[in-house]
Amino acid sequence: MPRLEALSEAQRKMLLNWPCPDNDDTPWTTMGKPLSESKVAMVTTSGIHLRKDAPFRSLKGGDTSYRIIPRDSDPADIIQSHTSIGFDRTTSYRDINISFPVDRLEELVQSGYIGELSNNYYSYMGAINDVTGLMEDSGPEVATKLLSEEVDVVLLVPT
Amino acid sequence: MGLVTTGLVLIEEHAKRVKPPRMLSVPFNFGNTLGRPNDPEFQHEILRTTFDLLDRQEGPVLESFSPDIAPELFSQGSGVAREESPVVSDPGQEVDLRRPFYERWVQQNDGRTAVGVSTISQTDFKLVIKFLEDFTENEESDTPIRPNQFSVAHFIRYCVDDLKAYYFESKMSEDPELSITQLHEWLWAETALGSLIMRLAERMRSDDNNEVKAVAFGIAR
Repeated sequence: MPRLEALSEAQRKMLLNWPCPDNDDTPWTTMGKPLSESKVAMVTTSGIHLRKDAPFRSLKGGDTSYRIIPRDSDPADIIQSHTSIGFDRTTSYRDINISFPVDRLEELVQSGYIGELSNNYYSYMGAINDVTGLMEDSGPEVATKLLSEEVDVVLLVPT
Repeated sequence: MGLVTTGLVLIEEHAKRVKPPRMLSVPFNFGNTLGRPNDPEFQHEILRTTFDLLDRQEGPVLESFSPDIAPELFSQGSGVAREESPVVSDPGQEVDLRRPFYERWVQQNDGRTAVGVSTISQTDFKLVIKFLEDFTENEESDTPIRPNQFSVAHFIRYCVDDLKAYYFESKMSEDPELSITQLHEWLWAETALGSLIMRLAERMRSDDNNEVKAVAFGIAR
């Protein structure tokens, strides 16, 4: 994000007062093997999904559901239904990689930097101001799926 | 055993509060997380810096990507002065005029388009415009083209998302050099659609129904 001082007073205030969790500590997992031998997945909060999926909704507190995006999806089948109008979408019209770097990850596998990629990626909505459903339901559900797919590393990409 | 995470963050202040294990703070605007569209080299630099954080033995790790780049900001509808004499004042007619540019965009981008959330074909967008105009001007309004799975309020939002995408993609095809700022200014200052969306959002904000009010924030401000 631009440094907050570059934003309007209203936007700065809104972001500073955003009700995100104030955690005291950090859950920590150390890498068990090199990245070049690891399986990597991606989780985005850009509110993208397949055309056939139900779009994300404008709900009080935010929509904490998620969508699965198979790694081999055709970019032409991926659309976005993020609620917020606080971000520019024209760059993602030009290049899906701007907030969902699928091509870049494939290139990192081809170069040997990353071991392999999971078959599925996951997408949530951003701008959620009540994360209860995320913490209790949809977050653990996706984490369980990632573990069952034997994923080692998750790349988190917001929009 | 567990999942190891690393990621990008756009609002550093939020990462300081949530304390995720490893985060790279990037200085770009919302929507532009990997910095620049169609610049694989720059995007790789950002991703490699993000993956480099995996080697850390303790955290939370919160680093800033440098150089610190001033992002391109853009205006919302209320921050743009409308042209006094727009080229076209009828959004229905305007939709037809934009179609050749939009279709060229789709062709140039291997069929990829952001249009589609509403499930209504762009060839029927005149019907969508008619519905949005009716809704703006009347208390109660619905349309037979609304799919049953969407409420009226959400259908409106998805239609507006699609129309914005259709307009922006058509404009980027017509004039590929326009900046983000210029694209947003064009939509709000010069198009009949921009004017309609502003009136629609105002109408929805004053509605008694909470869902309609909530959706208004996803349309324009």
